[in-house]
Amino acid sequence: MPPEPPSADDRPNPWGSAPADAAPGPTATRTVVPSESDSAPAAEQFNCPNCGGSIEIKAAGTSVSIACQYCGSTLDVTNPDVSIIQRYEGEVRKLELPLGSRGVLRGTEWEVIGYQRRSENGQYPWDEYLLFNPYEGYRFLDTDGRGWSLGQQLTATPENQAMVGFTVNGEFYEPFYAQTRAQVDYVLGEFYWRVAVGEEVLTADFVRPGKMLSWEHSANETVWSLSELLEPNEITDAFGIPPAKGGGLPLPHQPSPYRQKAGKFMKFALAVGLALLVITFMFGGTSDPQTAQVNLATNGVEQSAKVGPIILDRSRQAVTVSARAPGLENSWIDLTYTLTNRETGEVFEANNVVDAYSGQDSEGSWSEGSRYSSSKFSMIPAGTYELNVYAAGNRWTEGQYGSSPSAQVEVTIEKGATFYSNLFLALLLVFVPAIWQWWKHLSFESRRKSDSDFAGDDDDD
Amino acid sequence: MAQSENCPNCGAEVIFRSPALPARICDYCHATVKRIAEGVELAGEVAVLPFDVSPIQIGTRGEYGSQTFDVIGRIRLGYDQGAWNDWLCLFSDMTHGWLSESDGQFQMVIERPIAETNSDLIQHLAQGGETMIGDRTQIDGSEFTVSDMRSAKCIAAEGELPFAPFTGWNVFNVDMRDDQGFSANFEREEGEDPAFYVGRYVTLAELKPQNLRAIHGWKMPDYAA
Repeated sequence: MPPEPPSADDRPNPWGSAPADAAPGPTATRTVVPSESDSAPAAEQFNCPNCGGSIEIKAAGTSVSIACQYCGSTLDVTNPDVSIIQRYEGEVRKLELPLGSRGVLRGTEWEVIGYQRRSENGQYPWDEYLLFNPYEGYRFLDTDGRGWSLGQQLTATPENQAMVGFTVNGEFYEPFYAQTRAQVDYVLGEFYWRVAVGEEVLTADFVRPGKMLSWEHSANETVWSLSELLEPNEITDAFGIPPAKGGGLPLPHQPSPYRQKAGKFMKFALAVGLALLVITFMFGGTSDPQTAQVNLATNGVEQSAKVGPIILDRSRQAVTVSARAPGLENSWIDLTYTLTNRETGEVFEANNVVDAYSGQDSEGSWSEGSRYSSSKFSMIPAGTYELNVYAAGNRWTEGQYGSSPSAQVEVTIEKGATFYSNLFLALLLVFVPAIWQWWKHLSFESRRKSDSDFAGDDDDD
Repeated sequence: MAQSENCPNCGAEVIFRSPALPARICDYCHATVKRIAEGVELAGEVAVLPFDVSPIQIGTRGEYGSQTFDVIGRIRLGYDQGAWNDWLCLFSDMTHGWLSESDGQFQMVIERPIAETNSDLIQHLAQGGETMIGDRTQIDGSEFTVSDMRSAKCIAAEGELPFAPFTGWNVFNVDMRDDQGFSANFEREEGEDPAFYVGRYVTLAELKPQNLRAIHGWKMPDYAA
């Protein structure tokens, strides 16, 4: 219904303000809207004493004040006659959820009956809709543009946990916003308390993933309420409006979207990693070692030795050849291995080295090199093989300490191999996504908490 | 054992369902009818109940603890910040309690003799003392905080009642609650001894209500269907 012109009674008072106990202006009579069924009536109706617009009281019996949806004037509905508390001069806002809208949230139908725009001294504004169902009472539907939360006033005072937070129904809430002033900037619709633009309360907020516990304190009362973050589709399904745009920092009670994924990925990585380790050690490992010793002078002259025969019976398998020269000092031994199939003459070749260097410089003594090396042949076909070892020793003459004039190298051939580098690559492959998800989770949490007044106190981010 | 009488004001039939409650509001003329040894007498008059959308009505039944109850009376109280309903529930053992309905929240409270409580605050209030929101007291080993207090007047009443109210009857009321959902009320009613009530907050659903008021345009909840 369009707003109607102000009534003739709405005249300036040349004698100053009326005494407090007199009605401050025109009043309106309310009548019950007849029910169209066998059920009891659901609403009362009256014409706004300021603008004449037709208004329905949806929560008759509990509503205390109404801000007229046509002219914005605040009206007192505690008496049979509706009177004006304060006229409003500004333009009446269009609401994202118009008064009278109905929607089903979490199984219950709610009607939007009130709207407040609130802020912290004009900063960080948010919208708060009052929802009503005669069988379920009231709920609050809040948004600051990043998401919608459905809240309810608590009947039990939350338990204080050693000054660090509060517990409700056994769930812990950590502090997020410290005590601050919140004010009412704009109101429309009906409320079960006396609404007034400019009214201030003290607030503080506590969070856990998906839920926020809010404390509001005024001279008259302390109110605790608990709200749950709705999924973006829930507000669309209920009221047919697009979901909140989001953007900016996560909401204080927004659950990390990566936490679950990170957990799953990590579990998967651990399971696969464990399986890989088991497989590597069950099917890896070596057997049937045969060893030969080569004695050589460290003069560059190549010596050779034969090891074997070794019989490989699987169609394809790995073979490990390792060299060990425990007494080597400031010398190196170049090693060439040829693994020859006695039947087919097929040759597999590998090169390696064992070396040991040491000395002393300005920073003290140092040593380098490895007196042990191993070479792995993979996918060797079945057959009888012989290993030829060609070893050439050399002295490193720049060392301050003596270098070995001769050396002894022990060469061992074994069936099988453990490919640690493959294992490492596989582990990396499965752990990288998990670690990436954890990193994303932790960075989400740190962005979420960056808006908190208690950000520095927390050690789990 | 219902007792049937005729309203001393209008002559309509007035039925007392409870064995002991002293007063009943006549459904037709809103006279307060009081039981006396020789029958009934007129004890005043209350206004017609203003319209409200409470889901409770006279005749609503439910369960509380191990008992069932019937709603047989109501007193509606108002003050400058609003109004609330106290619904009188007659339990199956013929004792009674109050289902208090305020701002869409319910609490079921049962009167307890003031002499039986060792709460200093309640004793202090019973002797005419005052309190403040936020004051604390121990009741049944739990810490209760004063959450609300106000002076209210009876707006209207209906059905059977343990006292004989009239419109404008003054009631001073203090609400207390603990951290587990338990609640306590202290009331000083005009012309009556102070009264102390203890109980807890309840949801309509947990009372397994029957015969709730059907309200046009609203679906009866599944728990009451």
